[in-house]
Amino acid sequence: MSDNTRADGVPGSSERRARGPVLRKGVGPSPTGWFDPRGRAIGSWAFAVNRITGLGLVFYLYLHLGVLSLLLAGESAWNDFLEIATTPVFLGLDVLLLFGILFHGLNGVRVALVGTGIVPNRQMALFWAGTMIGTVVLVYGAVHIIGSG
Amino acid sequence: METIEETATAATEATETRRFRVFRFKRGDRGPHLDEFDVPVTARTTLFDAMRWIQFNRDPSLALRHSCLHASCGTCGVRANGREVLMCVTAVHDLGREITVEPVANIPVLTDLVVDMTEFYARFPEAHPLVRESGFDLGAEAPEGVPTYQRYEDCIECGLCLSACPVVATTDRYVGPGALAWAQRILEEPRGEDVLSVRDWADDPDGAWRCHAAFECTEACPSNVNPAARIMQLRGALVGPRLTRREMPR
Amino acid sequence: MNAHASRTSRPHVLIVGGGGTGGALAHDLTLRGVKVTLVERGEVTSGTTGRHHGLLHSGARYAVGDRESAIECIEENTILRRICPGSFEENDGLFVAITDEDMEYLEPLLKGCADCGIPTQTLTRDEALRLEPLLNPELKAAVRIPDATMDAMRMPLRFFATAKHGGAGIHSYMEVEGLLVHDHLVSGAVVRDHVTGKEGEIRADIVVNATGPWAEHIAAMAGVDVPIRPSPGVLLALRGRLSNMVINRMHKSGDGDIVVPQRALSIVGTSSWTVDDPDDLGVPEDHVRRMYEEGSKLIPAVKTAEFRAAWSAARPLIGSKDQVDSGRELSRTFKTYDHKETDGVEGFVTITGGKGTTLRGMAELCANVICAKLGIEAECQTRDTVLFPHEAYYAA
Repeated sequence: MSDNTRADGVPGSSERRARGPVLRKGVGPSPTGWFDPRGRAIGSWAFAVNRITGLGLVFYLYLHLGVLSLLLAGESAWNDFLEIATTPVFLGLDVLLLFGILFHGLNGVRVALVGTGIVPNRQMALFWAGTMIGTVVLVYGAVHIIGSG
Repeated sequence: METIEETATAATEATETRRFRVFRFKRGDRGPHLDEFDVPVTARTTLFDAMRWIQFNRDPSLALRHSCLHASCGTCGVRANGREVLMCVTAVHDLGREITVEPVANIPVLTDLVVDMTEFYARFPEAHPLVRESGFDLGAEAPEGVPTYQRYEDCIECGLCLSACPVVATTDRYVGPGALAWAQRILEEPRGEDVLSVRDWADDPDGAWRCHAAFECTEACPSNVNPAARIMQLRGALVGPRLTRREMPR
Repeated sequence: MNAHASRTSRPHVLIVGGGGTGGALAHDLTLRGVKVTLVERGEVTSGTTGRHHGLLHSGARYAVGDRESAIECIEENTILRRICPGSFEENDGLFVAITDEDMEYLEPLLKGCADCGIPTQTLTRDEALRLEPLLNPELKAAVRIPDATMDAMRMPLRFFATAKHGGAGIHSYMEVEGLLVHDHLVSGAVVRDHVTGKEGEIRADIVVNATGPWAEHIAAMAGVDVPIRPSPGVLLALRGRLSNMVINRMHKSGDGDIVVPQRALSIVGTSSWTVDDPDDLGVPEDHVRRMYEEGSKLIPAVKTAEFRAAWSAARPLIGSKDQVDSGRELSRTFKTYDHKETDGVEGFVTITGGKGTTLRGMAELCANVICAKLGIEAECQTRDTVLFPHEAYYAA
């Protein structure tokens, strides 16, 4: 089958040299590898939620600008908007928005402190500290937002 | 923490069976598949023991990578139920009734549970010093003629950090936690290496700046390298001189 | 393909077995201009080589009872430090006397080392404790010897890396399922490639059996016998670097008489028994317990250190099947068997025995025999050739 005068006198050498399949962690094709923190530690969850809230906040920003532009369309347009803005569903979304802002902001502070080498070994402690502060503010904020409706 | 007494009684524990789903792939196959095996295990059985039992008693074509059997060589890394582990020091007991065993992620598969480490080593820019100052000397003197106690670097080049990193999962260009941890060690203890060229190599969008602080690498590392913290320290070292306009140390 | 016709083209040697011996032999023969193919059924060093505690022997352990091995060890110790710079924790080692009985071994040890050319330095109890604070405070005396620690896989890997870059074909996951034998001539091997799942043949002028404790298994494929007794021992890895120097018990070889540091672990070894099948070793619980007991006599902290791993590795000891014993009495030296001379089978050579430390020396001896058989006049160059770094093995 193979003779010893060929450079690779071994069976199947060309197949061996082909690059094999690369497994990725996560759902779907590789760019979503960060999206699947199942079975991972806190750090991955924080990372994944930070990205999702980041995307959410960007989306919210444009939505907010769009809503504010209603002011240019006159008083009745704005009043129509205010009617929707005080419905329970909308208020619920407001609480969600508050969560997004708190998480992204506090985690961002954590990443900044850790990521520039200031306190690299305290990332878990910072995460839980942020969670506590965030939870207190979120609960206070949620009570007031829903109470205002 | 195990004591001698606990080690002794393990021998009297009963044998039970666990089901393993093992990733299989041979070159030329259209795609991978999972093979199921029922393996007898005791409290002492490691994942390596179980895979080898399959190799010797059920399927001799199962390819396994291993060498030292004591977490020193880093060759037996796999993912068990999605978590990165070294087979030789992972008790089957801790893994659950049904265990899925796959090769580590983000490195091309060579065959079955074996990955082609060429792509792991390709992320390092050059060969690196293996030996460092011990750091474990309790104030002891080194013997006459030995300048200082030495030991091997902690990193056993297992690739578990690369497998666990969510950023590596999205791109092959990121050098990864292992190589960056190595770079930080050079900055920390140069040993005659070219510190400036190591800094330049790390100071790159696909180098130290690609990390997003998920800390999975530190979680997965079986050898206490703590690559995540080292990457952060590396960043501090890269940014510091710029902020203070200090001359870069030569 | 007969041996005569192949001399006109470059002779081809097929090495079966990718342990330290196979790697060093591939390197030696490649430097001598021989075309080399090496096949290993798993990852290189996955047999016995990768599993030992990582001791770079000074030879002192054999200076009293096995002078031949002791001299081989100290020579190779010196050579390896030269050709593998940066691959050792060069902290030296100690022989430590704990009991009065141990002290009776002191004189024979010093004399044996002197006779074998192993440098020693005698230390008092206090001097020893200053070097290694965690030693048993009841120790009576210590002798310093040039032991060192290696990474049991990465040091041999440098031989493979150099051979590969010199043109040798190193093929892991390729298992020999049979030899091509006809009319008392071995002309190659039948292999199964575990990467592709396919079977194939590799032809060669000489096939070398470098499979360590599996030597009999391969030799049987050629219809010959080699006197190898697989002799396993148990090793125990504990968390914590309890010493920087290698710590040996100052007495005749016994169980649990060495503690070797390995990164942030301490390896306690070893024991000894003999088996028939090197793939079925087991890890006897009572041996693991002995490691804790004996190891803690050297370093008390062993008793409470956290468990990391316990495993067995089989030494390939040269001794006949009729010698039923623990394996401790068998010599640690190495031998090459040219089966034309021993069994009338041409084209087949076995190299076996030896220790991790003597891999280069074994390869030199075997390569001399092979070159003589092939009619090649080429000198060994491995004593002074600095090896590639281990990462080079995995370079494209």
